Amino acid sequence: MPKVTVDGQELDVPDGATVLQACELAGKEIPRFCYHERLSIAGNCRMCLVEVKPGPPKPQASCALPAAEGQQIRTDTPMVKKAREGVMEFLLINHPLDCPICDQGGECDLQDQSVAYGRGASRYHEHKRAVTSKNMGPLIKTIMTRCIHCTRCVRFSEEVAGVDEIGALYRGENMQITTYLEQAAKHELSANVIDLCPVGALTSRPYAYEARPWELKKTMSIDVSDAVGANIRIDSRGREVLRALPRINDDVNEEWISDKARYQVDGLTRRRLDKVWIRKAGKLQASSWNEAFELIAAAKPGKDIAAVAGDMVDCETMFAARKLLNALGSNLVESRQTGMNYDVSNLAAVNFNTGFAEIENADAVLIVGSHVRWEAALLNVRLRKAAKSGAKIFLVGPEWETTYPAEFIGADVSVLHDLPAHVAEAMSKAERPAVILGGAALAKGALHPALALAAEWNLVRDGWNGFNVLHFSAARMGSLMLGFAQKGGMADIAAAKPKVVLSLGADEMDLEPFADALKVYIGHHGDKGAHGAEIILPAAAFTEKSGTYVNTEGRVQLADKAVFAPGDAREDWTILRALADALGVSVGFDSFEQLRAQMIAEVPALGHEAVADYGALPKADMSVKASGAMSYPIKDFYMTNPIARASAVMQQCSAELLHGEALPEAAE
Amino acid sequence: MGILSKIFTWWDGATIGTSLWSSRNGKHVGTDAQGNRYFRSKKPDARGRERRWVIYAGANDASRVPAEWHGWLHHSYDDLPESHLPPPKIWEVDYTPNATGTLSAYRPKGALEQGGKRARATGDYEAWTPDA
Ligand code: SF4
Ligand code: FES
Repeated sequence: MPKVTVDGQELDVPDGATVLQACELAGKEIPRFCYHERLSIAGNCRMCLVEVKPGPPKPQASCALPAAEGQQIRTDTPMVKKAREGVMEFLLINHPLDCPICDQGGECDLQDQSVAYGRGASRYHEHKRAVTSKNMGPLIKTIMTRCIHCTRCVRFSEEVAGVDEIGALYRGENMQITTYLEQAAKHELSANVIDLCPVGALTSRPYAYEARPWELKKTMSIDVSDAVGANIRIDSRGREVLRALPRINDDVNEEWISDKARYQVDGLTRRRLDKVWIRKAGKLQASSWNEAFELIAAAKPGKDIAAVAGDMVDCETMFAARKLLNALGSNLVESRQTGMNYDVSNLAAVNFNTGFAEIENADAVLIVGSHVRWEAALLNVRLRKAAKSGAKIFLVGPEWETTYPAEFIGADVSVLHDLPAHVAEAMSKAERPAVILGGAALAKGALHPALALAAEWNLVRDGWNGFNVLHFSAARMGSLMLGFAQKGGMADIAAAKPKVVLSLGADEMDLEPFADALKVYIGHHGDKGAHGAEIILPAAAFTEKSGTYVNTEGRVQLADKAVFAPGDAREDWTILRALADALGVSVGFDSFEQLRAQMIAEVPALGHEAVADYGALPKADMSVKASGAMSYPIKDFYMTNPIARASAVMQQCSAELLHGEALPEAAE
Repeated sequence: MGILSKIFTWWDGATIGTSLWSSRNGKHVGTDAQGNRYFRSKKPDARGRERRWVIYAGANDASRVPAEWHGWLHHSYDDLPESHLPPPKIWEVDYTPNATGTLSAYRPKGALEQGGKRARATGDYEAWTPDA
């Protein structure tokens, strides 16, 4: 722990810290452009100059200088001030003064820092350099004249995303940042460079010229496009959500979110269910709440009522639905709408026990049946970090393009019973081995064989639990905690022949077995579920209600309501509450607070914003044998949920980036 | 115009009283392109000035008086328009009364009455319909 002095204040800094970090620990703000906590150090913008003794009598770039014992660091001398002004002046030589029409305006590092550290006026009269803008695909808009060559974007795609997509051409003043051959940036995290870019060179294309940061209302929320539960901030104006940005949470998403989480929000204004629809004579017709409720009551469901939860519902909605069903005497609730029926008697066995942050430390990982890049793009980033620090990664399942060295050892899940010797050896010898089981593996009954391997390799040891199940839907862990599961999955529900089926945004379920039932769709988007329903009750999307979500790690997180639901749509719990009245039963809550309090009383873990404790892994049932070729549930990364399917941006991404349709328009 | 509406309404042309009074005390001096008839009093009034008036053919709307007759009515000049104004040029458009407040008022292309659509604004959404 070297001891340094920052502006006369003595402090100990951790080993390996840089002078910039030391200054931050001392509470001094150091202006910077190229330095970023989660990227390698480039040291090319020179904005972070400070004075350091001992050393040459000139300012030094603090981000690239290791803090050493006895250093005297000064950030407030005239020399530092002059150096910052000088660097700022150099940066502004070629930077256009188009802040009034620049989308970065108001959230631009260059703008802020030139106000704080720059000179009052420009002394530069010569022409500015101009750079042609580059095509980076449907998500990233480029105005390359604004680039200050910090190379954050280059380092991000190389180091974090693991694809060599963005690079620099030419040298010195002529340097230009571009994608390789100006192809679109294609990976799932590409749009994070927009946040990283300290200036307005890379901005958001769908959001171009939509709003200014200061006119937006910011709401803390949770992403529901996958089970990672990335922390996001919803920026809205009036009744419309304009964008979603990542929030920093080192345990979950670090500082990134997937492109889907970021750009599906435009789907929130399309294909919305905003009134009640009732099927009359085979055709859906606009109707009223009263009529719909009367119709459901007339069906006299009694205890023949079932509820199926979709992938994006919050815990409160599911709890309210279960309450309603219980009051009617039924417990036919299920959330695994595609018909999976893995054993949920012990939730530890279906949880991502290692945790996203910890998985980085794994030294051998066996992934079974998960297209991690598509199912949990942010977990893929962690796995890449693990691989970079030497972890061996093996995959079972159809091949996909990994962003790290990995070995595919077969597409058939039966490989688990007969692993290649080198894999078994690597896993059993590893200090922190981890197994990750995806949905495709669960569908083929790999849970117990994997538990057997867990016992064999001793995955659970002191301070380490290497047994993981990676879910894909944001509602999954919450639904399992609320008991939204039948032993036989959807088949049990179908066998019970319910008279009324409440579908809580379940768009993936098979409606065939419920041909005779009155299907009531409570959801926010007109997708498969709505088309097949007899009665449609418009509900709120995840941005339009407060809710609790549990990610695949079992982490309980709260999301706030950002905007109001459109038209006649109501928050889900109010619909279920009103339905209880119509059916003449009492559910025991009249307000959201009561509902939440009841839910927490029943499942206390949902009351703490922390990782829920599910106890120890169960014993494996050795008799279960898994077999069959796996296939990943996701066929198209951009089209996995009703919001994304409604989103024009996601549709364009799917067409251009995955299916190579439509020529990318020339950048200009 | 039937005799009944002549008796009971006052918004089109002259009432019976005015017509009678005009035929007794006025002299019809001319008619404009819309058929409005212009009168002059036979005798000067108390201030020694001649009175001039118009009886509309149709709606009593002052903006229906064309410019040349407007000048005469307001004593801007004494001669009748035909006798001292140059004949209208062929490129002059016909006089049109003020349409404000009437159905034929001008409405720009985007006006809602023209079936125009308002521009997209925040909060707009596209609702789902079963046939979509
Ligand atoms: S485009 Fe932005 S992030 Fe990339 S080098 Fe230029 S300024 Fe830096
Ligand atoms: S932040 Fe240190 S050189 Fe850029």
